[in-house]
Amino acid sequence: MTPKLRNWLGYLGWHLLCIPVAVTCAFPLVWMISSSLKTQQTVFSDYSVIPSHPQFINYATAWTKGKFGIYFVNSLVYTAVIVVGVVAFAALAAYAFSRFTFKGSNFLYKLLLSTMLIPIPGAFVALYILVDHMGLIDQGTNQWLPRLGYILPQINAGLPFGIFLLKPFFDKIPKELEESAKVDGAGTLGVFWHIMLPLARPALGVVALLTSLAAWNEFLWALLVFSRHELMPLQRGLYAFHGAHLTDYPLLMAGMVISILPIVIVYLLMQRTFVQGITAGALKG
Amino acid sequence: MRRILATSLFAVIAGVWVAGCGGAKTAQSNGPAPIRVWHWMTDREDAFNELAKRYKEETGQEVSFELYAPTDIYEQKVRAAAQTDGLPEIYGILGEMRGLASFIQAGHVRSLEDVMSADGDAWRNVFFPKALAVNAFQPNNTYGVEPGVYGVPIDVMSIQLYYNKKLLAKLGLDPNQPPQTWEDFMQVGKLAKEQGLIGFVSGWAELWLIDCYATTYAIHTMGMEKVQQTYEGQVAYTDPDWQRVFGLFSEMRDSGMLAEGIVTMVNKRAEQLFANEQAVFAFNGTWGINVYDTMNPNLDYGIMLPPRVGNNEVVTWGGAGSSFFVNAKSDRQDASIAFLKWLTDVPQQKYLLEQTKNIPANRVAAADLPEKLQAFAKVIDAAIHPRLFALQEDSKVIETFDKGVQSILIGESTADQVSQKVAQAKEREASRQAKLAEANGQR
Repeated sequence: MTPKLRNWLGYLGWHLLCIPVAVTCAFPLVWMISSSLKTQQTVFSDYSVIPSHPQFINYATAWTKGKFGIYFVNSLVYTAVIVVGVVAFAALAAYAFSRFTFKGSNFLYKLLLSTMLIPIPGAFVALYILVDHMGLIDQGTNQWLPRLGYILPQINAGLPFGIFLLKPFFDKIPKELEESAKVDGAGTLGVFWHIMLPLARPALGVVALLTSLAAWNEFLWALLVFSRHELMPLQRGLYAFHGAHLTDYPLLMAGMVISILPIVIVYLLMQRTFVQGITAGALKG
Repeated sequence: MRRILATSLFAVIAGVWVAGCGGAKTAQSNGPAPIRVWHWMTDREDAFNELAKRYKEETGQEVSFELYAPTDIYEQKVRAAAQTDGLPEIYGILGEMRGLASFIQAGHVRSLEDVMSADGDAWRNVFFPKALAVNAFQPNNTYGVEPGVYGVPIDVMSIQLYYNKKLLAKLGLDPNQPPQTWEDFMQVGKLAKEQGLIGFVSGWAELWLIDCYATTYAIHTMGMEKVQQTYEGQVAYTDPDWQRVFGLFSEMRDSGMLAEGIVTMVNKRAEQLFANEQAVFAFNGTWGINVYDTMNPNLDYGIMLPPRVGNNEVVTWGGAGSSFFVNAKSDRQDASIAFLKWLTDVPQQKYLLEQTKNIPANRVAAADLPEKLQAFAKVIDAAIHPRLFALQEDSKVIETFDKGVQSILIGESTADQVSQKVAQAKEREASRQAKLAEANGQR
């Protein structure tokens, strides 16, 4: 067997392995787009990938019927604030855990990480009572406090994972860099801002991406905190098509395509940073 | 440059958001504060919002419907809100009678007995008695709740068998003469299997639907009294009548009529199969009419009671579909009751019938129903519902029962084995209850 043939066979084997995996990953997306272009009748009878009479109007109907105009902007703002909050506080805390040793720091770090083991839906009622005592549950009057009641617990929930990702990254940055900066007159925050954060950019990108994914898809907590639809995030719009007995599948699928677009765009924009973050060891924990 | 663009974009979105939010607030500032209604029926959102609009036009009172799905998170929301006294003026309560009882005992549900009885039972007489009964507590009930009506039904439902006329004809049978006896039913099931069709489909991954089917046949074969005696512990689940009930599921399995994977099938999937003309029979509720008509407007089907075993009449499940409860801690109870009276009046009930194709709880509005809904409506008065049983079976025994039926359906257990297993579960629960009662007595 010639080296050329061996290489070719190697590529062939690799592709034979990868193609089914890729098809399996892509199929739900293709099926979702295909179903979004069918009618409620044809979605259960026409199994073709490209429908003979595509119903592009489904997207406009989903947008208006699902009140996506309100929910979409809500979700964008909620996600942006949550991502900024998680990245900022997680970076500060991870830097502190990495560089400062104080009494009980190790215990505190592990305690913080252990909160990742608590399933959030299991803590909903307790969290609801806490947030209600803070006056942040929607009572149909003030609208800013409930929004805060929605955002704060999510920042809180995102912190342990963010710290878990960032601390090992800061650990690996040579201390000499810090010391040089301090010799040049930088304070602790100056070192953090000018030295640590730029170096940790790939890991911060990973935290931002994963947090935005979680925040964008969040729905259950919104249902508990909010009573008014005008405060709800985008996922609430999808449930307009998902009734107790009747589900409007084409509109649901069209709504889902609309809802995943921003997160796909974010991923595409941050893809390079994401890969760098992972390959640089951010996920080694 | 990219950073400036991103910052500008975020600033624009935030600006639009803040401006939009300001508008929403001012829109609410006219008239009395809205009556808030929480419920889980998201598929009726448009109809409810239209009715709220009409009510505001007629009375000036704003009503705000907030509908939440899925139902499990709705339940969490209601329970969490109850713990913080944050329930709205009107809301729905899911689950069994004991759940409703706990809400009443915690002071979250207003008794409607006085308003139902006013003016010679004027409001009470509007409804199907069964629809009200499932929201009422009888004197000396086991929960210790003050007797009376607590909920306002807006529609009623029953569960029967749907049959596909085209498929019956394909099997060489008269499409207008579905099988009336169990033996004939099994024969049709076998025929369907031979022709590569699904004989019977239902969402039997959902245990309540299995329970519904089994209870229907338990009451049909042995009578209500004996079923209640079983719940009381006087009759064992190993009794031949109960073994016969379990045996019916074995016969269905052996006939080959059941859809593949029926015990892992949710009802929405079962509805798809029937709507796609793949299944001859479907065990489903009143809501199925709306579901099938939406999925396949050309579906030619009929509705029948489950086939007889022996000579007794079959009595199927039925009663209130959805109900509203008034928050007893709200300071706007009178306004809430006024709205519910309006909502259950004939014009509004007819509107809901047109929009949702459910049987109205108001008898007058339900007098002139489309043919298919009539098939469901005519059995309502005789229908059974677990909430109406004088004594309820323990939830752990019900679970063992339903899972046992599932194991029969997949061929894992025989009817005899399941009856033994359920009897053991019943004994365990009885012994646990006795120990609990003894401990409470000592305390």
